[in-house]
Amino acid sequence: MTNILVCDDDREIVEAIEIYLNQEGYQVYKAYDGEQAIQVLKDQNIHLLVIDIMMPKLDGIHATLKIREYSSIPIIFLSAKSEDTDKILGLNIGADDYVTKPFNPLELVARVKSNLRRYTQLGNLNVENNELFTVGGLCINDETKEVTVDGEAVKLTPIEYNILLLLVKNQGKVFSIDQIYENIWNEEAIGADNTVAVHIRHIREKIEINPKEPRYLKVVWGVGYKIEKQ
Amino acid sequence: MKKEEEGKKTKRKTGNGVNLLLHLVQHIAFVMAVILGTAVLLRSYVTIESGKGSQMYNLREEEPGTIFTDSVLFNKLLANHITDVIRYGAVRGQMETDGVFDSGKVIDTAAFADRYRTLRTEYITARYYLDDLINWSKKGFEFEDIYLSGEEADQFLSRVSQVTTINTKSENYDGENIYYLNSKPEQLTKVRDVSGNQFESGEYVREGENATILKNRYLTVDKKNIEDHVSNWDEYYELCQNIKKAADDLASNYDEYLKYQEVYLPERSNLVYFIRKTIGSDVQVYTNMDVKSKELKTLKKELLDVCSKTVYYDPSGMEFETDTMIEESTLGYVLNGFGYAYPENTQVMFGIRKDLSMAEDSFYETADQFNRYTPYLGKYLTGAICCAALYFLLLALLTVREGVAGRKESGEVIIRLHREDRMPTEMMVAAAGIAGYGMFRLVFYMVNGPWRSMPEAAMIAFAGGLALAVSLLFAFFYFSLVRRWKAGNLWKDSLTRRAGRSIMRGIRYAYRHWDLVLRVWVPFGLFTLFHLILLVVGAATSGTRRILPVLILLVVDGGIGILLYHSAQARQKILECIRKINEGDISQKVKEDGMYGDNLVMARAVNSIGDSVKNAVETSMKDERLKADLITNVSHDIKTPLTSIINYVDLIKRQNVQDPKVSEYINILDVKSQRLKQLTDDLVEASKISSGNIVLQWEKINLVELLNQTIGEFSEKFHEKALHPVVNAPGGNICIQADSRRIWRVMENLFNNIFKYALPGTRVYIDLELADQKESHEKWVLLSVKNISANPLKVNPEELTERFIRGDESRTTEGSGLGLSIAKNLVEIQKGTFEIVMDGDLFKVNLSFPLLDNIETLSARNH
Repeated sequence: MTNILVCDDDREIVEAIEIYLNQEGYQVYKAYDGEQAIQVLKDQNIHLLVIDIMMPKLDGIHATLKIREYSSIPIIFLSAKSEDTDKILGLNIGADDYVTKPFNPLELVARVKSNLRRYTQLGNLNVENNELFTVGGLCINDETKEVTVDGEAVKLTPIEYNILLLLVKNQGKVFSIDQIYENIWNEEAIGADNTVAVHIRHIREKIEINPKEPRYLKVVWGVGYKIEKQ
Repeated sequence: MKKEEEGKKTKRKTGNGVNLLLHLVQHIAFVMAVILGTAVLLRSYVTIESGKGSQMYNLREEEPGTIFTDSVLFNKLLANHITDVIRYGAVRGQMETDGVFDSGKVIDTAAFADRYRTLRTEYITARYYLDDLINWSKKGFEFEDIYLSGEEADQFLSRVSQVTTINTKSENYDGENIYYLNSKPEQLTKVRDVSGNQFESGEYVREGENATILKNRYLTVDKKNIEDHVSNWDEYYELCQNIKKAADDLASNYDEYLKYQEVYLPERSNLVYFIRKTIGSDVQVYTNMDVKSKELKTLKKELLDVCSKTVYYDPSGMEFETDTMIEESTLGYVLNGFGYAYPENTQVMFGIRKDLSMAEDSFYETADQFNRYTPYLGKYLTGAICCAALYFLLLALLTVREGVAGRKESGEVIIRLHREDRMPTEMMVAAAGIAGYGMFRLVFYMVNGPWRSMPEAAMIAFAGGLALAVSLLFAFFYFSLVRRWKAGNLWKDSLTRRAGRSIMRGIRYAYRHWDLVLRVWVPFGLFTLFHLILLVVGAATSGTRRILPVLILLVVDGGIGILLYHSAQARQKILECIRKINEGDISQKVKEDGMYGDNLVMARAVNSIGDSVKNAVETSMKDERLKADLITNVSHDIKTPLTSIINYVDLIKRQNVQDPKVSEYINILDVKSQRLKQLTDDLVEASKISSGNIVLQWEKINLVELLNQTIGEFSEKFHEKALHPVVNAPGGNICIQADSRRIWRVMENLFNNIFKYALPGTRVYIDLELADQKESHEKWVLLSVKNISANPLKVNPEELTERFIRGDESRTTEGSGLGLSIAKNLVEIQKGTFEIVMDGDLFKVNLSFPLLDNIETLSARNH
């Protein structure tokens, strides 16, 4: 049984999340402020924490800072603050993911699953293999041509696979559409073509929880595409 | 209201048109008057050449319709010619012997010089040959002032005077009044030597004399010098004078003789003349008729046959016949004028040929001019007067009309001044004076100089041009004056008044700010006085003590200089601070230490102004930030309940509701709650952009790449609505400077807009091109996105893009309606332009950004 602690000062939100997570077979513990959350964490064996930032008594940021002193469980921030600065702050102080309110319940569930998988399966993947490329939860086995995200297999077409492999092999490097085209099709790009862009979108839809806010395959608008180094 | 104004405008315009026309007509009238006047002046004067010199004759004095030969002009011309012929006859008598020029003719100089008077019975003379005298006069008489001693005078002058006496017993002598008629006095005279002092031989010493001696260029007929004829100085001088006078007269008469000889040749002249004089037995005839010893009666008949106008005069027979205006007394007077040459029995006949074209002489030319111009002069003159009258009439009319722009409702006349009317009156008057004087000088110079040598047409054209210039200049100054007078600013805009006012203002200012006057002028006065005193002291003292005042001056001036420099330095500091504050550095302060007086006051004032500005700016910035924060916070507070709504709506949906109505309601809740979510996000973003509360990450953005990426992103959505994107872009990369995520937001909003509102199944045109900016010639990138709207476009472009600012009431069914507004603001903060064009169902968005090539500096500044 996997235990998840959901902490928000808005009880209805906590209860709604509980319903969704229960449906997925998770045991849900509830807390309504930071102090309660810390208390529950001490008392129970919690595997993942979903926590709001703006809360009375102890807010999510400070609670996370305290929790990180002794625990490395995945923490997902759930906040109405949607600015980039808020997200960056949250991720920097030790959160693993950041979901803005109002959220899509399915997205939250997916993120919970993803974070749990990475947390529990992280050790298993440490196999030395030259044909194995990993970026965070994304893993490409070039020998078997298998792609997994947080341990879950993803089905890609050969072109999609090749594009993803190119980007993963050159983590952090930005490829323009023309460069990708030339690398994959081995033809000179004539320009003004959106084939690559369509493929990229398809890849994103397959490997990302929220394709509009990708974790792995990032769009650098007006420049190209890249896999973020992690 | 608007219509009324327009009406006024048009009225004024037509008024202007009429005035312009009147001005034009006025100028034309002036020019015409001058041209016609000039033509009349030029054509109405005929120059009559005669021995007395040229004479102007006015054709206008003629009765209209007169025939030339009946005109006063003709008669004057005839009179001139008759006088000339009579004169010619007299001169021929001097030059000729038996009708032929005789250079060896002997001239009794004293008698000749005295030819207008009765010949004296005794006189001293010297006789020369005619050609010698003429040549002498032409080469010049040389006189010499010398001193002669008594002996030398004795040597020089003759001992006896050679006296000529009229021989009264001669057959040619007819009474007392012997005139120099026949140029042959030797026939009447006798020469003898007379001794004035009885010392013909022997000792005689005269007194020494300062004498003026005439050099003997030629000898007399007797091969003698002048001084050989006289025995005293008085006689010598008189003889010299007579010789010179005779020679000069003869020389000029000789020239005339040659001239007349030409003029009155039968084939050259329309004047036919006949002069016969009888002196004793000698009969002389001067004529250009074919005489051949015919009778006078026959000749007269011949003359009447050939000539249209004749004069016949025979004083001895008391006969005078003529059909001209020449009167007997006139002719007699002329003949008497040359009494020395014409005896009383001289008979004369003159006639003018019927056919003047026989010879192109002055009669012919004058007749030609007369016939050509006389009929028109009257018309020209009338025309000129009419034009002048029109000019003055228009001048009066325009004087009344000038400057009147309309009438106020109260009936008061509105005067519109021109730009030149604002010029100080004195300057205007001076300019008018200068222009007028310049014009006058130009006319004066031209009329006296180059104008005279021009052909007539050029003269008239020139006069017309000059008249136009004069008219324009006059109108310019005159009407300006009229407008000023009407508007009452003749005095108001005068320099005198301005000067007076500024002096008054100065006095009033000094009176009110007496402390300032004291502070500036009193120290200055003391300073000057101090120098003056030291100067006087310095001048008064002498020696080495003079150094003392100079030293004092140096020290005091040095001290004042340092003080002035110090003060200027302080002022400079204050000025610099003001400049910096002005440039936006509002934290600037002036250090007040070391300052005193006005500078200190100024420094404090600047500092306090700086503080106020700083406070004001900070307050306003804080307000802006508070506003953005408020919206952000409110949206956070909205988001939390919204989360619950969305979640529970979703949960209800999962409950497998059977009732289709409930199911429909739930769907509405779902859509609306999602829309509320979008709205809150957009609201926050729009408020942040419009309050300038965002930081841009400038990057090099390839618009071609961005377009492909965007189309890729939207391919599914477009496919869903069967929208077909058509891209027109030049090959290669087109880069601009922008924030990657913000420019994507712009594209996303634009494409979402198309997705939502475009008519399904249509094409979407996306054009990318380079263009030159008109003013700066910089390269710009133009991106336009066109689509056909599904619904008729009923909104203004402004409503679409300024919805957030204006808070418009109209709302669309989908989205927040802020998408285009956000896109516009984002483009503008990225230094681009955003424009929406609607044409029927065509919806078009034009974006433009500076091409990266010309914004290298910009990137350098922003990084």
